Amino acid sequence: CGFAPAYGPGGAGAALHGAVRMAEPRDENAWELVVRLEERLGRAAAPRYALDYTVTTEKIGAGITPSRAITRYTMTGAATFRLTESATGTVVAEGRVEGFTGWSATGSTVATLTAEEDARVRLMRILADRIVTRLLATGAA
Amino acid sequence: AEGPATLVADRVELQRGDLLVATGAVEVLYQGSRLRAARVSYDGTAGTLAIEGPIVLTEAGGGTIVLADAGELSSDLREGLLQSARMVLDRQLQIAAAELRRVGGRYTQASRVVASSCRVCAGSETPLWEIRARRVIHDAEERQIYFQNAEFRIAGLPVAWLPRLRMPDPTLERATGFLMPVMRSTSGLGFGIGTPYFIRLGDTRDVTLYPFLSTKGARAFGLRYRQAFANGEIELTGTTAHDGLVPGQRGHATAAGRFDLGRGYVLRFDAETVSDRGYLADYGLSDTDRLESRVSVGRIRRDEYVMARLVHFHSIREGEANNSLPAVVGDVDLRRRFALPRGMGVLGLRLQGGGYSASQQVAGAGLRRLTIEADWRRDWLLPGGLLAAAELRASADYYRYGLGSGALGRSARVETPAAMAELRWPWARGRADGGVEVIEPVAQLVWSRSHIQGTVPNEDSRLLEFDEGNLFAFNRFPGAERREQGTRLNLGLGYSRLTGEGLSFGGLVGRVLRADDRGQFTRASGLGGARSDWLVSMFVSTPGGLAVQGRVAFDDQVELSRSELRLRLERSRYGLATAWVWAAADAAEDRLRETSEWVVDGRWQMSSTWAARVSGRYDLAADRATEAGLGLEFANECLRVDLSLSRRFTSSTSVRASTDFGLSVDLVGFGAGSAAGPAGRACRG
Amino acid sequence: QGIDFNGLQHDSTQPIEITAERLEVSQTDGTALFSGEVLVVQGEARMTAGSLRVTYATDSRRIDRMEATGGVTFVTPTDAAEAQGAVYAVPAGELVMTGEVLLTQGRSAIAGDRLVVDLDAGTGRVEGRVRTVLQPRDGTGRD
Repeated sequence: CGFAPAYGPGGAGAALHGAVRMAEPRDENAWELVVRLEERLGRAAAPRYALDYTVTTEKIGAGITPSRAITRYTMTGAATFRLTESATGTVVAEGRVEGFTGWSATGSTVATLTAEEDARVRLMRILADRIVTRLLATGAA
Repeated sequence: AEGPATLVADRVELQRGDLLVATGAVEVLYQGSRLRAARVSYDGTAGTLAIEGPIVLTEAGGGTIVLADAGELSSDLREGLLQSARMVLDRQLQIAAAELRRVGGRYTQASRVVASSCRVCAGSETPLWEIRARRVIHDAEERQIYFQNAEFRIAGLPVAWLPRLRMPDPTLERATGFLMPVMRSTSGLGFGIGTPYFIRLGDTRDVTLYPFLSTKGARAFGLRYRQAFANGEIELTGTTAHDGLVPGQRGHATAAGRFDLGRGYVLRFDAETVSDRGYLADYGLSDTDRLESRVSVGRIRRDEYVMARLVHFHSIREGEANNSLPAVVGDVDLRRRFALPRGMGVLGLRLQGGGYSASQQVAGAGLRRLTIEADWRRDWLLPGGLLAAAELRASADYYRYGLGSGALGRSARVETPAAMAELRWPWARGRADGGVEVIEPVAQLVWSRSHIQGTVPNEDSRLLEFDEGNLFAFNRFPGAERREQGTRLNLGLGYSRLTGEGLSFGGLVGRVLRADDRGQFTRASGLGGARSDWLVSMFVSTPGGLAVQGRVAFDDQVELSRSELRLRLERSRYGLATAWVWAAADAAEDRLRETSEWVVDGRWQMSSTWAARVSGRYDLAADRATEAGLGLEFANECLRVDLSLSRRFTSSTSVRASTDFGLSVDLVGFGAGSAAGPAGRACRG
Repeated sequence: QGIDFNGLQHDSTQPIEITAERLEVSQTDGTALFSGEVLVVQGEARMTAGSLRVTYATDSRRIDRMEATGGVTFVTPTDAAEAQGAVYAVPAGELVMTGEVLLTQGRSAIAGDRLVVDLDAGTGRVEGRVRTVLQPRDGTGRD
């Protein structure tokens, strides 16, 4: 039926695994994104590819009660990525992925703070996973 | 005047008496300024040009263009008189005058002037707005325009008269002076006008004053101070008000800043405070219901994360007493990651210390925590395209917290070893249309068991979520005070498709199967029970600008725990963004009633100049609207008018239901502020 | 100060002297063709050219018209004009120079495709994409 294992011989996963160096993270979002990207693509001992990215997020209040309390938040995120072959600089794959996570703000200040930070980490993991899926799909081989 | 001017023409006649007459596409160039005319006669002895139009004089850089019928200028084009001239500044503001005198290449004096940036069509002579003045002086160096005896007209009707008026020319970015007034009417304050005044203090500092008066006796005054430093910047704002809504003086203040401390370390602070709960809503300053003030110093680099942070909360939420909430939270978080040689995986170390002040649960001096965590992860490419991964994690948490009167009387210790094994088997297929498809089954087995000495309160791990971000996570509790226990199998199947034309869609289905139900999770989180809810997520994005994302969690009886659907459509003429958020009621999450809210935000560009906006927020659970808003925007080449009407239906003792009406008018062409919209109606005929 | 033609003002009734390396006289149309280092002197004015065809008045004693080609210069004590070709209608006192005309006068210069000078009136006209420099009068202008 035409499907072949992405990590099989000649697959995009096999070509990329342990061969991609991520751009250096500079802020919270980038740190979590790179941690997850390295979990999925492996650490590059001798990188043949470089992955650049930009991440933007937006925190949106929701679940507003009659007394104007904000009981829920959604964080929407978008990441653009570009995979280039380090030696030649040719762009192997590029694109943009989106995602969102949510958290409740019904608890105390500490509970809401950790819930927000966990939502940010989860959003970065979702964006990283979607980037890796696009890399597996567009085929780096 | 140094340097000669150059003249180019089709014909040059040299007559007796040192007179040179150039005709036919005559151009005179002098240091970037360029004069084009039909006929120019140059008197060598006097060094002057007598010019017959149509004249086009372009200043260096093209910023200023002067059109005239006739005139006389010095050969360096810097002095002289032009008749029936029109001066166009930055292709926006036009100053038409019977006579235009250029002085020293810097000043331009015009008499009997009509100034406007509106397009004037041949048929209808009256522009949308214009300023008529007996005299106007434009100072090209200071980039200011001084009107004498100025009469402001709208559609030809005189509206205001000022003996003296000074306006910045279109290229001036930061000029001291009045900004455009803003009118705002609310149910609480009545009809009010704010007249912001901007004061420039050199290149690195400025102050904006913002007096505001309203018919129901509200007198408010706002101030914003900004300063840029070599290594950072700060912005301080403050408002104070006296109105009929709340007795006494009200106000709020904010301070924000960012500084590079060297070697990659950055200091950030963002603080805000307010006098009473309803102030921010009454004056439309912000919708927040909890003020969060933060200061942090830290550095984030490859494999190194260093962050020290202090956060102060002040709740202005109805019925939420600040003494029942931990007001101050602080922590230091050090993380390092090491790539082990020969592909032996990645080692992560983390040291985190911190705590928070007293709360309902933790009395006295609150709680202090020290966490040490080590993590090792490695993966293997197995034959057949299987990707295996294994991870070990060990964390130790040490607590000291207050109970009753004891400041830090109690202590506790939690050690949590954890292990994970994961198998991924993604399959990819190219499609005929050049698109690609990926199917990816994932199975992950996780084990963890905490050894707890003493009891640990739960303040930071009460609000649980379940989505693709933590379907395959070690510990789904957001904080540290609870760590996920037991043996569980996380299963997921992902599908993703990208077509040749750029349509991409996909989704994921997942579930958590637990060896035993330890009742760790709230029901509404979807993670409870021996078998978690089904997690289903999808996304679609089309090249046509449609993007839909959704996620839902439901149990075997299709009882929803969480659901969220977001849709966004971006087209050139219209745009729509709508979202539906649903969360089940659950006392453990302090949500006594289910949250079900629908939000919509639409934009319709009716014509090249008119645009309408509509927004709404509807509480489906209480079956009533929370907010509704209408906006109408007119923007053409010379005027921007922004009308907004919004209704807030909420009501509580401190925050009243209110209808806000806002109007702002901005004359394009004065100061480099608002960009001009597309030119309005083209001149017909 | 700008260009003027006082310098080119010139009494075209003065006698004309022509020297050249070769001279061919054609009886049929009463013209003479000078060639090789042609030099024409009239009063203080000098004209050089690659070759010069002179046509005489019907009484064949006075020069009616001169046509110079092959790079022409026309020099007076104060001005110098050069072009590819020139026609000097002597009785009319009109000099027409064509082809990359450049007229210089002290520090002023004017360039164009065609220069027409009325030598008696000291007025002239330059045509074609004319370029000149408007030298601001700085007190050293020629009177």
